[in-house]
Amino acid sequence: MSKRTRQDTIGRRSFLKAATAAGAALGSTPAAAQPAPPSTAARPVPLPDIAAETLPPPADPVHQSSSGGDFMLDVLKTMGFAYVTQTPASTFRGLHEAIINYGMNAQPELLSCAHEEIAVAMAHGYAKIEGTPLPVMVQSTVGLQHASMALYNAYCDQAPIYMIVGNTVDAAKRGFSFEWAHSAIDPAAIVRDYVKWDDQPGSLQHFAESAVRAYQIAMTPPMAPVLLSLDSELQENPIANRAALRVPKLAQVAPPQGDAEAVADTARQLVKAQNPVIVADRMARTPQGMARLVELAEALQCPVIDTGGRSNFPNRHYLCQTGRSAALLAQADLIVGLELNDFYGTLHAFSDRIVRRSRRISRADAHTISITARQLSPRANYQDFQRYQDVDLVIAADAEQTLPSLTDQVKRLIDADRRSVFEVRGKSLQASYHSMVEQWKSDATIGWDASPITIARLCAELYDQIRNDDWSMVGNGNRVVWPRRLWNFDRHYRWIGSSGGSGIGYNAPASLGAALANRKYGRLSVAIQGDGDLMFCPGTLWTAAHHRIPILYVMHNNRAWHQELMYLQAMSNRHDRGLHNAHIGTTLTDPNIDFAMMAKSMGVYSEGPIDNPKDLAPALKRALAVVRKGQPALIDAIVESR
Amino acid sequence: MDRLFGLNVLAIAALFLGIASAAWAQDAPKGDAGNGRKVYLADGCYQCHGRVGQGGSMNGAAPILAQTRMPFPAFRNQVRNPVNDMPAYSESMLSDKDLADIFAFVLSLPGRRPVSEFPILNN
Repeated sequence: MSKRTRQDTIGRRSFLKAATAAGAALGSTPAAAQPAPPSTAARPVPLPDIAAETLPPPADPVHQSSSGGDFMLDVLKTMGFAYVTQTPASTFRGLHEAIINYGMNAQPELLSCAHEEIAVAMAHGYAKIEGTPLPVMVQSTVGLQHASMALYNAYCDQAPIYMIVGNTVDAAKRGFSFEWAHSAIDPAAIVRDYVKWDDQPGSLQHFAESAVRAYQIAMTPPMAPVLLSLDSELQENPIANRAALRVPKLAQVAPPQGDAEAVADTARQLVKAQNPVIVADRMARTPQGMARLVELAEALQCPVIDTGGRSNFPNRHYLCQTGRSAALLAQADLIVGLELNDFYGTLHAFSDRIVRRSRRISRADAHTISITARQLSPRANYQDFQRYQDVDLVIAADAEQTLPSLTDQVKRLIDADRRSVFEVRGKSLQASYHSMVEQWKSDATIGWDASPITIARLCAELYDQIRNDDWSMVGNGNRVVWPRRLWNFDRHYRWIGSSGGSGIGYNAPASLGAALANRKYGRLSVAIQGDGDLMFCPGTLWTAAHHRIPILYVMHNNRAWHQELMYLQAMSNRHDRGLHNAHIGTTLTDPNIDFAMMAKSMGVYSEGPIDNPKDLAPALKRALAVVRKGQPALIDAIVESR
Repeated sequence: MDRLFGLNVLAIAALFLGIASAAWAQDAPKGDAGNGRKVYLADGCYQCHGRVGQGGSMNGAAPILAQTRMPFPAFRNQVRNPVNDMPAYSESMLSDKDLADIFAFVLSLPGRRPVSEFPILNN
């Protein structure tokens, strides 16, 4: 070091020391915090910038030792959240900072999402595997509007989501112009039609009580999203007296069971019926649901139609007669719906013609019973409750919770005569089941070597690679039927149901959320992924790579929004105008999308496009090797449209 | 189950010999399967029924057409005045000749193969 430099350094250090001492002294008397004009003669080197750095602290404090956000995190921790999903935003920066620093970014760990729709859909998929909600943090106006579609899906699908919305309530505290654009008097107003409960707490104690209340409401069937709007000042400001704040106890909520007499009546009718049918939709909301329904069905030797809202019934059980639903409903004298949202659509066939008609496909004299918690939380505006079906008895209760008492009553009523009748019925159903399965296998061989790859072959090849793993099919964007025909869905996590609201953009992020939940159990998560759906939330792939969430996406790439293409075909035919223009606005070509390249760009292992069926199995094998090591992968397969 | 499987095998074998297809198609005018394929793709039949007639779905199931056992009059009636959601094809959009060619095409498709050839279907 040169002499000149050393002198400068010493002089600067001396100056800083003196100035700091002076500042500290002045800091204790803020009213006198006007610095005296410095003596330029005392300075070895004039450093005006340094002088600015060492001004005494202003009256406005720059540090704090506590914050509302820290307390909020203390409350959230009592609910056992493992993760929180979010797209970063200024109105929840106080809570964000508390999570990553005060909470050390653990329980919950913060996950980064490139769009609020991804953040909510991930929580949606997670809830259906884990059975509990995740908090999702979004900006009050712009973020919540991005999130709203995914919230609607979750509401329709009866999935709990714990929304946290940042907001700046006090207009006098909004500074920058964007803070006005990001504030609302009532942020929840835009989603209140499909949020079960919401609040905007006015104090930290208010927050604590509403936070626990919100969790309980979200977790009470029918489950649904809840929302808390959190004032930014409430998150950020110091706490005057932490000891005065109380974290309320989180009570266990017992789901509502069916009325005892109504359940007894249902049991009598099930035992008496000659051709009963059980139709289950979103019934199995816990691991116990499937086993409970198997117990009831076996006691009665009663066929079950699983509409796939959840994994309600093992598809390789001979009483799983979903593939024969039309024939069974046509002869049924008793139909019992379990969390069946579209009872009318189950009993009727709809013709999408110029004159739209429904015709009943079940017997007019069939007795009908609906057990559903949906009855307990009706909403008016959005019409996802479906057409009214005049069933004979509605039991307003959680179906899964009601099954044990129903099964118990059924077993008590079965005498020797009924048992022998049931045995005959069971043998007949067994024969029908095996015939149906053999037919499916035979059908799957059609076009085995065709290109584009048939969906049957795609599903057969994929299952061949995963069948010895503890697999979980976390997404099936186009609801292709072949997995239910060829795979063995024998656990509740083998399938989690679809979007609920049929809103595109669900499949990719919700699958990732489910894969996140599966990760700690060591399950292998796979999703069949539509190309149209992935284009809504492609940033999902980055979150998968960034947080190292193992999942295999297999693209069902038909280069179209194919359902809409078929609708345009139908519309064109009505007018005898030909099909030459039906591709306009319905296809994803010119240019074709390179999904493998897209995935690679975000750090996801990928291969494709693959259109030769012989190349599929080796590619799946390589991709699954990556997934089994804990990373995401994507195979872009060019597949038949349907 | 075994009996059903055996019947399927026999039926498929018969199709390859041209016996069964001749019987099922006896009411059909002679069609040009090559042109039928072109029209089948151009007129969008494959959108729901698949390029090789493997079947598919719209809002409900779209039946398998490969080696269809539907007689030609019923096939024609379904195309002209369909039940359920299938779009109707009038003569101005699809001539009787092209319709017969499509029928010849779907009868010419290989259809099912013995499941025993595919071990992975028995997982």
